Amino acid sequence: MSKVRPQDLTCKELVELLTEFLDGALEESVRTQVEQHLVWCPGCSEYLRQFRATIGATRKLAEEDLPQRVRENLLDAFRHWRHGS
Amino acid sequence: MPSDTGDTGASEIMLAWKFLERGRVAPFGGHVWPTPGTDAPGPWIQPPGGEVFACRISDLPWWINAELWEVELEAPIRTLSTQVAGCRGRLLRRMVGWDDVALRAYGVACAERARDLVVSLFLREGRTADADALRQTRSPLELCRVSQGLAAEATTPATTMAGYVGASAFRAAEGRAAAAARHAADAAMAADGTPGVLEREIEWQARWIVERAGLGVPTVATV
Repeated sequence: MSKVRPQDLTCKELVELLTEFLDGALEESVRTQVEQHLVWCPGCSEYLRQFRATIGATRKLAEEDLPQRVRENLLDAFRHWRHGS
Repeated sequence: MPSDTGDTGASEIMLAWKFLERGRVAPFGGHVWPTPGTDAPGPWIQPPGGEVFACRISDLPWWINAELWEVELEAPIRTLSTQVAGCRGRLLRRMVGWDDVALRAYGVACAERARDLVVSLFLREGRTADADALRQTRSPLELCRVSQGLAAEATTPATTMAGYVGASAFRAAEGRAAAAARHAADAAMAADGTPGVLEREIEWQARWIVERAGLGVPTVATV
């Protein structure tokens, strides 16, 4: 269905703004748009819930909690990602 | 008069309304609001570096949630397009008329209003049988099914609008009232391109909430 209200955020736009939203870094008018979208959009509010749960879970992790093999795999993945391969 | 920034500059307490998630949870901040005592307001809340946001009557449809509370905001009050903000706020009392049943009924009422609008469009297009099929629906799910069937062709204003009605009815059936209301307002906008149609829908939705939840008109009380 097409967007009836041209000033509204799409779900894709909201996802792109979510980190700044959680950091409190959005200007007021944009933050209000994000919040109003979250009020009615079940998909985006669930996405926000999962995002917050992930942040909460990773905050509890210490570096030593990672098994050596997982740590190496992750570092390897980041190295390849940074080289664009 | 509010300034350009919305700051009224008034040394007043404003009575307003605030939607919270179940358990007095702030929908975006995630914190739990302290409950008022039997005869006393809850403690003042002052978010660090922030403000407390709440609704005037006309703002309510933008912020639908499970619990509705009467709140006090402390000046300076900023008046924004769909909310008001005070430097701190506290809960006064829960509006018990706004419960899970009311929330669900709100979504259904919005979907049915959208249905009535699309019925009138089908009649205008001379499609009496389609109008009757919509009118005879007896549940949000049935309304969703019939609307989506009509929307499949999406060749006329009525069939296009039927898509929004179907979305509204689907969300109403799920119990997602805010989404049902949202799609119902979109249906009205799709049906009627005249200026002010969204504002009229929001006004209707606000009136519905006021009547169902038994809200009085909030006032500004001089301290």
